[in-house]
Amino acid sequence: MAKGIKDKVAIIGMGCSKFGERWDCGPEELILEAFKEALADAGIAREEIEMAWLGLFFQEQSAGKSALPLSLSLRLPNIPVTRVENMCATGTEALRGAVYAVAAGACDVALAMGVEKLKDTGYAGLPERTKGTFDDLWLPNATAPGAFAQLASAYAAKHKIPMQDLKRAMAHVSVKSHENGLLNPKAHLRKRITEDDALKAAIVAFPLGLLDCCGVSDGAACAIVTTVEKARAMGFKDVVTVKALQLAPSNGLEMSNTSWDGSYLLTTRVAAKRAYQEAGITNPRAEISMMEVHDCFSVTELVVMEDLGISPEGGASKDILDGVFDRDGAIPCQVDGGLKCFGHPIGATGLRMAYEMYLQLLGRAGERQVGSPTIGLTHNLGGHPFRNVASVSILGLHAT
Amino acid sequence: MSYGILSFGGYVPTLRINRQAIAQAIAWAVPAAKGLAKGERAFANWDEDSLTLAVEAARDCLQGFPREVAQLQLASTTLPFADRSNSGVVADALRLPATVTTEDLSGSRRAGTSALLRLGVAPTGPATLLLAADCRETRPGSPQEMLYGHAAAALLFGEGEPIATVQGAASVHEDLVDQYRSADADYDYAMEERWIREEGYNKIIPRAVRAAALSAGIELAEVHRFIIPATATVAKGLAKLLGVNEDRLVDPLAGQVGDCGAAHPLLMLSFALETAVPGETLLVVGFGQGADALVIKTTPKLAALQGSRGPARYLAQKRVIDNYTMFLSLRDRLQIDFGMRSERDNRTSQSAFYRRRQDITAMMGGRCSACNTLQYPRSQICVKCAAMDAQVPESLAELIGRVKSYTEDWLAYTPLPPYIYGNVEYADGANCMLEFTDFAPGGVQVGSEVRMVFRIKDFDNRRQFRRYFWKPAPLLA
Repeated sequence: MAKGIKDKVAIIGMGCSKFGERWDCGPEELILEAFKEALADAGIAREEIEMAWLGLFFQEQSAGKSALPLSLSLRLPNIPVTRVENMCATGTEALRGAVYAVAAGACDVALAMGVEKLKDTGYAGLPERTKGTFDDLWLPNATAPGAFAQLASAYAAKHKIPMQDLKRAMAHVSVKSHENGLLNPKAHLRKRITEDDALKAAIVAFPLGLLDCCGVSDGAACAIVTTVEKARAMGFKDVVTVKALQLAPSNGLEMSNTSWDGSYLLTTRVAAKRAYQEAGITNPRAEISMMEVHDCFSVTELVVMEDLGISPEGGASKDILDGVFDRDGAIPCQVDGGLKCFGHPIGATGLRMAYEMYLQLLGRAGERQVGSPTIGLTHNLGGHPFRNVASVSILGLHAT
Repeated sequence: MSYGILSFGGYVPTLRINRQAIAQAIAWAVPAAKGLAKGERAFANWDEDSLTLAVEAARDCLQGFPREVAQLQLASTTLPFADRSNSGVVADALRLPATVTTEDLSGSRRAGTSALLRLGVAPTGPATLLLAADCRETRPGSPQEMLYGHAAAALLFGEGEPIATVQGAASVHEDLVDQYRSADADYDYAMEERWIREEGYNKIIPRAVRAAALSAGIELAEVHRFIIPATATVAKGLAKLLGVNEDRLVDPLAGQVGDCGAAHPLLMLSFALETAVPGETLLVVGFGQGADALVIKTTPKLAALQGSRGPARYLAQKRVIDNYTMFLSLRDRLQIDFGMRSERDNRTSQSAFYRRRQDITAMMGGRCSACNTLQYPRSQICVKCAAMDAQVPESLAELIGRVKSYTEDWLAYTPLPPYIYGNVEYADGANCMLEFTDFAPGGVQVGSEVRMVFRIKDFDNRRQFRRYFWKPAPLLA
């Protein structure tokens, strides 16, 4: 019986570029910016990296396919590099590849890099991608806000919550992330907003307004991983280890069958359950110190709180308005600003979340440090509520 | 058992523009337009064309009838494809047997009545669905812009218990070019109406009408309803010439729909059949470089179909707009800047389409023979119970769905913002994420019931292609 990934691999260095509209940078420069920081953090030479994973989503318009964007950018010495892509879970997927390689003993030191250059499209929002030769024939040409807006319409209908009340809870999510973004020099959006600003923002896709939506950003983030033993041998005292890495893609049930009511994220529930089991967590609300969830839209964060088993079903609005997920709440969430304000360069996002957890667990988050967390959860949702890939990862401090 | 008309149907698009709005917008250039500014005209939504209008009329007509049609004829002067069987697409959308013969009839506003005449005078023949649809674009500021409308009509012919039979018919050909549209032109070019009335309507139509009455062995005074696809003034003049009472003239629907070209005589016939009583005699005229005339007599079987089909229900279901630029843009007469998102390349992989053509054109899903779950798209493994190779094809096109979630998206490109789409659930477990049509903002709610309609899914302007699929639309009132 497999024992899972818990405490087999340590993160010894991480880096993250500044996120935002990086008109000054192409994907190569973003990769290098994150890489330099991680290399200095780990205190190793570039040549010590034996294998690498590259996460990149929109290859059509940024860096291209294959291993080459990473191998070329860093002039890697012909080591194996694998490009992975799993929509918004892409960054976490890159980390999973590197962590599994180290755990398997295939190498001692591996690099996971995630990057996305979105601001070369010429317009706001995400570029539309083709859905494949068959799906293009029938699926709506939906946008991400339009797809996630439906979570709100179905959630409000199911729980009989008046839309204006749900919108207030959603506004609190955005206000909180903007407050947190103010403290983060690498964040894309660093501007305070009020609940009123959020409620009165122009509608992008009903019921989502502009301030319910995350930033569309350029950026890169990376991690260098090795075995716990090697990390100790290298002299690291406080070590952040991977406790769980779980992934759950849709199999078509949500969009093809009425058993899904549209108000929750089925795959997130599956991935969370597996991750808690892998990490040995039995009471997530009590055991998890802090979280970085996939707040692509305010309503996503709200619904995810229930799907992760943190809030009771139908109870996320109350928890949000009670401040449970605020910086000074019981389980701070998106203390770096989240996708909402740190930004969302798709391929980098999962690793950006891990970066924040890593800094917080090591007590190195500076002005935005939140107490002394021991267990952190990161969550990604790639795709749309009705068809997606969810990842739930748990990182923690490993006692000496 | 005898051969005749077994059913009828009609379709008028939901969108109407107030003619006053057109007249006001163009008054600076064409002040005379206000003389035509009465009532509304029907126009096709951006995702409708003659082909989709015909599908709706056919579905209206085929209610309650088996779809074992041997012959499909589609009459129109505005078929979207010059080379790709338009009627073939219609046949697939209607799930007609693969053995159906399909024919596109065009080149004349009489395309519909000429086909009707041929079918009507035959003593017997195969089960035939005759469709007539037109969606003529009009030059901004032209009289046609005020006068034309878009609609479709359908008649089902076959052996059985007819609701009406053709008693006699006649046709006259005269190359009187009252108006024309060259093969490569966007718009009709029309001559002076006084000349058309005096030399055309008033001289040619009576010849055809009298010959038809003769062949049917009736006197014109016996005709209960005259169906003359022309303005009320022209029709009244003709009634006088023919010595019949004006009250016998069927409403040309000018104030609600407008002149629908090849579809118009059949639309008016369908409209008349909604209220005709058994044993009535109707005289149908087609006009354009000559005239067709048919004498049709209703039977007692008609009553059973009345109330369930015909254009009246579609006339009642309307969204009237007063916005002239919106009307122009929806018919692609005005190029609004919809931003870079509208540059999306909609190339169709024809080989991929061909493999899944039934799934797309007939909205063919699958029902799992192991767990009875209906699903779209169909697949080799059941989405619910994972039974392999157990699905039986079943279309979702005729099902009533219920909105499970939806959005009004102002970011995505659509010619009629907002882009409304959502999850729709059906009986037996099926759920599908679909693009909606014909809903105004605020018109969809979670729980709303919807019916499916066959529409243009996307245009590929680079390659002059359009693809079709099914969309949820408001229920018929």
